[in-house]
Amino acid sequence: MCCRGCQAVAEAIVAGGLADYYRHRTAKSGTAAPDAADVVPEWLRQAKLYDLPEVQQSFVRQETGEVREASLILEGIVCAACVWLNEQHLSGLPGVLSVEINYSTHRARVRWDNSRIKLSEILHAVAEIGYTAHPFDPGRQEQIFLKERQAALRRLFIAGIGMMQVMMYAIPAYVAGGDGTMPPWIENIMRWASLVLTLPVVGYSAWPFFLGAWRDLRLRQAGMDVPVALGIGAAFSASVYSTVTGGGEVYFDSITMFVFFLLTGRFLEMGARRKAADAAEKLVKMLPAMASRLPAYPGDQTDELVAVSSLSSGEYLLVRPGESVPADGVVAQGVSRVDESLLTGESRPVPKNVGEKLIAGTINVDSPLVMQIEGLGQDTVLSGIVRLLDRALAEKPALAQVADRVASWFVLALLLVAAGTGVAWYFIEPARALWITVAVLVVSCPCALSLATPAALTAATGSLTRLGLLTTRGHALETLAMATHFVFDKTGTLTSGKMSLLETITLGDIGRNRCLAMAAALERASEHAIANAIAAAAADCEDRFSIEETTNLPGSGIEGRIGGQRYRLGRPAFVAELCGTPVPDALLHGRESATVVALGSENGWLALFALGDTLRPDAASLIKGLQQRGKTVVLLSGDQEEAVQQVAQQLGITEVHAAMTPQGKLDYVRGLQREGAVVAMVGDGVNDAPVLAAAGVSIAMGGGTQVARASADMILLSERLFHLLAGVDISLKTSRIIRQNLAWAFIYNLIAIPLAALGHVTPWMAGIGMSASSLMVVLNALRLVEPDAGKGRK
Amino acid sequence: MEILYLIIPISVILIFLIIWVFLWAVKHGQFDDMEGPAHRILMDDDSSHTEPSEEKRSNEA
Amino acid sequence: MEAQTTYNYKVVRQFAIMTVVWGIVGMLVGVIIAAELIWPQMSFDLPWLTFGRLRPLHTNAVIFAFGGCGLFAASYYVVQRTCHARLISDGLAAFTFWGWQVVILAAAITLPLGYTSSKEYAELEWPIDILITVIWVVYAIVFFGTIMKRKTSHIYVANWFFGAYIITIALLHIVNNAELPVSFLGMKSYSAYAGVQDAMVQWWYGHNAVGFFLTTAFLGMMYYFVPKQAGRPVYSYRLSVVHFWALIFTYMWAGPHHLHYTALPDWTQSLGMVFSLILLAPSWGGMINGIMTLSGAWHKLRTDPILKFLVTSLSFYGMSTFEGPMMSIKTVNALSHYTDWTVGHVHSGALGWVSMVTIGSMYYLIPRLFGREQMHSIKLVTAHFWVATIGVVLYIAALWISGVMQGLMWRAVNADGTLTYSFAEAVKMVYPFYTIRLVGGVLFLTGMLIMAYNVYKTVAGSRAVDDAAIPAPAGAHA
Repeated sequence: MCCRGCQAVAEAIVAGGLADYYRHRTAKSGTAAPDAADVVPEWLRQAKLYDLPEVQQSFVRQETGEVREASLILEGIVCAACVWLNEQHLSGLPGVLSVEINYSTHRARVRWDNSRIKLSEILHAVAEIGYTAHPFDPGRQEQIFLKERQAALRRLFIAGIGMMQVMMYAIPAYVAGGDGTMPPWIENIMRWASLVLTLPVVGYSAWPFFLGAWRDLRLRQAGMDVPVALGIGAAFSASVYSTVTGGGEVYFDSITMFVFFLLTGRFLEMGARRKAADAAEKLVKMLPAMASRLPAYPGDQTDELVAVSSLSSGEYLLVRPGESVPADGVVAQGVSRVDESLLTGESRPVPKNVGEKLIAGTINVDSPLVMQIEGLGQDTVLSGIVRLLDRALAEKPALAQVADRVASWFVLALLLVAAGTGVAWYFIEPARALWITVAVLVVSCPCALSLATPAALTAATGSLTRLGLLTTRGHALETLAMATHFVFDKTGTLTSGKMSLLETITLGDIGRNRCLAMAAALERASEHAIANAIAAAAADCEDRFSIEETTNLPGSGIEGRIGGQRYRLGRPAFVAELCGTPVPDALLHGRESATVVALGSENGWLALFALGDTLRPDAASLIKGLQQRGKTVVLLSGDQEEAVQQVAQQLGITEVHAAMTPQGKLDYVRGLQREGAVVAMVGDGVNDAPVLAAAGVSIAMGGGTQVARASADMILLSERLFHLLAGVDISLKTSRIIRQNLAWAFIYNLIAIPLAALGHVTPWMAGIGMSASSLMVVLNALRLVEPDAGKGRK
Repeated sequence: MEILYLIIPISVILIFLIIWVFLWAVKHGQFDDMEGPAHRILMDDDSSHTEPSEEKRSNEA
Repeated sequence: MEAQTTYNYKVVRQFAIMTVVWGIVGMLVGVIIAAELIWPQMSFDLPWLTFGRLRPLHTNAVIFAFGGCGLFAASYYVVQRTCHARLISDGLAAFTFWGWQVVILAAAITLPLGYTSSKEYAELEWPIDILITVIWVVYAIVFFGTIMKRKTSHIYVANWFFGAYIITIALLHIVNNAELPVSFLGMKSYSAYAGVQDAMVQWWYGHNAVGFFLTTAFLGMMYYFVPKQAGRPVYSYRLSVVHFWALIFTYMWAGPHHLHYTALPDWTQSLGMVFSLILLAPSWGGMINGIMTLSGAWHKLRTDPILKFLVTSLSFYGMSTFEGPMMSIKTVNALSHYTDWTVGHVHSGALGWVSMVTIGSMYYLIPRLFGREQMHSIKLVTAHFWVATIGVVLYIAALWISGVMQGLMWRAVNADGTLTYSFAEAVKMVYPFYTIRLVGGVLFLTGMLIMAYNVYKTVAGSRAVDDAAIPAPAGAHA
């Protein structure tokens, strides 16, 4: 056991008779207790507030009497056994009526009797066994997608079963082919049965096409839905007419097949979109639901705990160290540092003084702050980001828009041909005119055209997602393939963005390890990156020091007493004050690119620690791979010249620009684009956001800032740069396959339409031609499906 | 082949019945979780011992 | 007052035991008639021992008595455990058990006595047909009623297969057995259909009896017992659901492939052929899903004979569902129709797939129903497996050869258009293979006897489990 926390969890599991958990789990619960010193998350201390009606408003549904139902997101789920554990543990609580957890989405639906148990107790119970439950507001994309998916499933099923049955009724007529073995009454009964079954397919399943066509016509556009609707409409009406009059041809089988394939294409597309949205949604963390309000500020400093939803602009809030800032605002009193990794991706906290802005969702690190609210709820920066994300996901991918424009021409051409055919045949052989025109409309299957791109995109997106490269905008794949220049940010992109101890130089008599241990002891109270790096390096040291009296001077360092002696750890200048001797400059020389932290006591200098960022492991192979593929690699960084050059040399990048402002980066990229380059930008910070938006295609690191992720077209969730290279290859392949698919679709139509116009295409041929061409397109797209890269079965 | 007067209508009615069942299933969320149920049956302990959690603490897969 | 905190294992136990019993009886009759084909004198000139009367007893016994009891046991067990609910009525469930046994006994008596409607797999006369209908309705009530009172919101996929088979069999049974009784004691009735109409209905029934009773239902069994025995979840649950619906779409209309080159119109035959071929896809989807469930657990096959049974059954399932569509192609059928190849095909499905999956499932089930950790002797289960497998292989190999030979010999014509071989000559050629087939059948029966012994030793002195607890939240109510 790593700590008493885990021991308590294990005891709770076994005590609850749930030891089967250990038997069934297939993954170690690495995330159950991430920080040994902080097993109970900060918000749980205020869990009681989750029982407040105002707070419950957005995610709790009241049923009859005291029965309530809530949706929760569960964190820490790593395998099926975790789900089972949670279900068992929660359903064993008195007062809990039902618990249902969805294995794929990790959403839990809990129903409880509020007179016997409170929601806060339920959340506590989840934490007890080592997981975290967040209340979940179902009014988000999730619900919309669920409804969409269910509707699509219904339509698809009805089209599918209609297709199978109508096919069954149609085959006899084709086989008998007028050889006399099928008396007319049999053919008739088959037609009527086909009609009855095609009705729901046309009236319900195909409804979106009619709606789309109507919308297109009203806007005077010729979208893909128009020929589809026309074809279905004409074929159906003609077939009904035939059935009723007992003559002519019927196309019920073609119609149902048609609708089924088209719906399949849309379903696949929707599935891909949903996967991307799901992953993106997980990036959005909850804003705190509670806040400490100071109603009588500045006179009275007493605070009260209230729900954020009851706050208003202009009020004053107290934000204690460790708490999340509940709203956008400005500091009214206090000096502290705030962790803005939400925006900057950098865990090094930003100092905040009176008058400086605070952003909702960021975390106060050092000291209490009093703030005045400026933006709440929907007006916060965070909400803005979320809206950006939502809008991005709802947008129609650029590629689809291109396909639509192409389709317009195709549609117009097709309509002309159909009209022309009809007119021509009217003069040649009027009896066949209608049937031949219908054949032209039906055989011209836009399904290959409309399936070509979604099928390929779905397969490719799926492969990329499995690699950890998430596509959030449709055009990303295609543009990535066309990219000529790859522009990289340095910190957090090519480097890990985290501090680690590079070097220790001892200056006194005390050995390296003891110095490290001392430094770690001094930094213990601190949370920022430097402290973590030192603590990590000191982990193996056996010495443990206890500190009396620590004083933290923000921006300079820490002073503390060990065994009566005063020690200082921090900026060399700060430590120099205590030691009495000046900073050993010579030693600092050559290490300008690193952050130097000094350790000294009243007796003199003890050590210098050089901390810096390390390159990501596969950065070098990525750069080399890109250059081998003929791409130009550029490094743009806001950091100083030496640090940037060092990285560039290590990676073999020749085009380097350091000390760039966000505007500078933007100008550079625009310059490239003016010369005709297609720029792919890879970054992670908020200062990269404008460039990410301006670049042809942008990739944000998974651990980057929210803003970067929202502005980017792709997100490298795995943070393994090598996957980016794989992504480039897949995008190239996708482009090829889409082109092949489109080419095939056009060739098919080029052959089939003239044949139909000349009267050689019978209904069954139209059906087969259509399905064969669609099938070819889908099979071709399947070539993009890469076998799972080490992820379990699905 | 007058039997077709029977078989074909039966098949049409059957199709509508099947559609109805499917719609019922969609409405009641039968297709919302396509992974969980496979695991749930394995968590259901049907061994005939009264203290299953004490037995076989052996590691599997 | 029924205890609603435990499952009803009693009716499951009853059906499970009778599965073994009727398996032996049905296969014994099979062995007898196989022997009679070699030594016709074995009927001792007694009308009730003749091949013509015993064959339907064999088919009914193995399909409805053996297979049926196995399905009752499995479906009652699975529906309870996956719904976390006890059967809605112990009384009705008990009625289905005792009623079903009465049906079987009635068959065992009436068929040898010569009472028959002569419709294949539907030979039982009208009073028994009515009894079957009543029992089946009650079965549906018990099964669907239990689903309706389930505590889990999701209905596990196996239950969908069971549900579909229950409804379809009801439909098939009623439609095909539509008949006009003309005597009570004589148990005589006339089918509502005649001639080619009757043939169409009969084989719509016949094929779907195979398709829904022997396939869909046992797939339900497979989707529960294979993952449980392997300790691995179904390979792709999504696929199992798709598989189910695909099967529903396509199975209903493959019937006419039994009537190739008969008076049935050509286009109907072609229809049957096309759909039988389409059927290949969903069937194999299910097979792959079942077999791949073992990924991560293949090593267990070495030591676990129950898993051997289950996996082998799936392999035979795959084989039969490939063989079937092939045989439904008209040109192939021109050779195979009326030959022993058809019998071989039936038995590869019946012995290889149905029997083995039932045997495997019963070996899983029986110890748990009687409070034992496992069967009395795993070695005997292994022995049973090998004996059974060799038996099946001998059986079907023998009939492949004899069937193809028959087909070739029957169609061989001389230059002048006369038949090359007389019927008797063809019979003489295939005779030795009938002996091999008999050996195969005897082996399979022997396996069942081994099972009976093993079951007896497992059950004797054990404690029938009636307190299997239904997991339920403490103090919660629906």
